[in-house]
Parts: sequence; structure tokens; C-alpha cells
Amino acid sequence: MGRLFDWVDRRFSLSTPHKNFLQRGIPARLSYLYCLGGIAFTLVILLVLTGMMLSIYYVPSEAEAFQSVLRITREVRLGALIRGLHKWSANLLILFILLHTLRVFLHKAYRPPRELNWIAGAFTLVLTLSSGFTGYLLPWNQKAYWATVVSTNMVSTVPLIGRHLLYLVRGGPEIDGTTLVRFYSLHVLWLPLAMGLVLWAHFHMVKRQGISGGL
Amino acid sequence: MGNHRDERDKSFYPDYLSEILAAIFLTIFTVFILAMVYAPSIDREINYVSAYHPKPEWYFLWIYQLIRYFPGGWAFVGTVLIPIVAAALFIGIPFVDRGTVRSGRAASFLFALLSVFFLVLTVVPLLWP
Repeated sequence: MGRLFDWVDRRFSLSTPHKNFLQRGIPARLSYLYCLGGIAFTLVILLVLTGMMLSIYYVPSEAEAFQSVLRITREVRLGALIRGLHKWSANLLILFILLHTLRVFLHKAYRPPRELNWIAGAFTLVLTLSSGFTGYLLPWNQKAYWATVVSTNMVSTVPLIGRHLLYLVRGGPEIDGTTLVRFYSLHVLWLPLAMGLVLWAHFHMVKRQGISGGL
Repeated sequence: MGNHRDERDKSFYPDYLSEILAAIFLTIFTVFILAMVYAPSIDREINYVSAYHPKPEWYFLWIYQLIRYFPGGWAFVGTVLIPIVAAALFIGIPFVDRGTVRSGRAASFLFALLSVFFLVLTVVPLLWP
């Protein structure tokens, strides 16, 4: 490997413990369709980076959320671009997870011993949709507010415990600052952490089981 | 399985790394172009007085459409029951396919059914808002 890399590696000792990973064999003729999952992961990384940048200026409070998004978009240098990157990465992530799922299904790559990895993949989809749902409220604008009124109302249709669930989701009878903080917390802490754990399991299994040979 | 090597295999580093980096670069490039050409809107401040029914993002349109089919007391069928059953069927696909031709067909049928279900319910509210 390169000179600089070797210099760092002699001190940091990265390549020895990861030799099996770096030098592992990969079937020579893989279709480009095998990129889809990797593209999805690239989008996750982009989401984390742009999300961290947005969190520097975003204020998760009822009184200031909308104004802070306005400021990010109009005043903060490159703010509008960072917000655009976050939004587009999120939409493309869902699209690429769906395409990756289609590829895995067509190659029958969910068959034993990969059943558990199919389930891990399904969980990443659920976590991504949940992140999309909680993130949608954060700009605290007309669309976000009313969309969340409609969607949280759905929870109240659950027989027997519906009203309690609604209270739990909203943090009260109505959507207000409490709901906003709740969604913000889920969006920036709980869901990304869960996503990290599930993705670790997903990649660990790919590494251990090897790449499925396809049909 | 994982680490066995075959004569025809390439190794991850450096053979595949360059191809992976190219895919990463293309992805980032595409997101930048989209973000610059189609910037997200700011919308407007909340009007708490007049109720408003915005259309959700494309990936939630299917639930939005399901709610229309189950009004009133049956709402939970569209909001909770069908989505949970659909998710359970999706997760269960590897357990339907047991490796035989017949069960493989059953899994394909199930996957096709779920795909059509998602696509139709996404397209219908776009065509007939």
C-alpha cells in the first residue's frame, strides 16, 4: 500500500488485524447491481454528516424551530445546500434500499444462511421510514405540522389503547413543543444509534457469510 | 464460507476499492446536483386555525391511500392492521422459501404481491389526488 499509509500503519497497526477483511476474496465478475446496498450506505453517511451540520443551527423549540430553518436556508453560508443534501439523501436512501431489496430478492440472497440478514435489512428500512417520519416535523412549518396531525391521528385508531398511544407519540393531547422535542430526540439520537447497530449486524453477516453467488 | 479464496477471485483491496470509490463519488455527485437544482422549500408558518390535509412524502403515500379505503370505525384496518401484516409477510419471505421449487414460487408470488400493493397504492393517489 502507499508510503504514507505504510507509515501510519506501522504506528497504528490497522492492516494486520484487518488483513482478512482487506484481502478477502470477492467473486471476480460481480454485477454492478451489487452496488445498490453500498450506495444506500453512502447516503447514510451523507445523512449523518449533513445532519450533524444542520444540528449546529437548528433549534428544536416551538418558538424558534421555523425561524432557525429559515436562517439555515437564507443566512447560513451553504446552509440551503446542506439542507438540500440532507433532504435528497433521505429520499434517495429509501429508493436505493428498495432497489437493493429487489436485487437481493431476485438473486435469492435471502436463502439460508442469510435469513437473519434479510430481517436486519428489513429493520433498516423501518428505521429509515421512521427517520423520514420524525424528520418531516422538524422544520415546524404548515405542511410538517398538519401532516403530523394526520399521521399521529392514525395511532389513535388502534382499538382499546389508541388514545394512550396517541398521548405517548405526541407527549400530550396536542402536537406542540413537547412533540417537536420528542421527534427531534428520536431523529438525532435514538434512530441513528439503532441504525448504526443494525447496519453493523448487516455488514458483519455479509462479511462472515460472504457475498451470495446469485442465481 | 466467508474467507475462502478462489483463483478467479479478486481481492477487496485494491481490486474492488477503486470501483467502490467510483460508485461513492457518483452517488455524492448526483445528490449535490439534485440538491442544487431542486432545493427543498421552506413552506410557511403554521396556521393552527384552518385544518389542512397535505399529501405525505412519496414513501408514505400507500398508507395515505389505505386510510381512504377504510373510513370511520374501520380506520385501524388501514392504518395499523394491513401495514403490520404487510411488514410481517415481507420479513417472513426467507421462511416461506424453503429451497424447493414450489416454496420458491410461493416466495416470488408473495414478493410480487407486496411490490404491486406498494406500487399501486403509491401511483393511485398521484393520478387521482
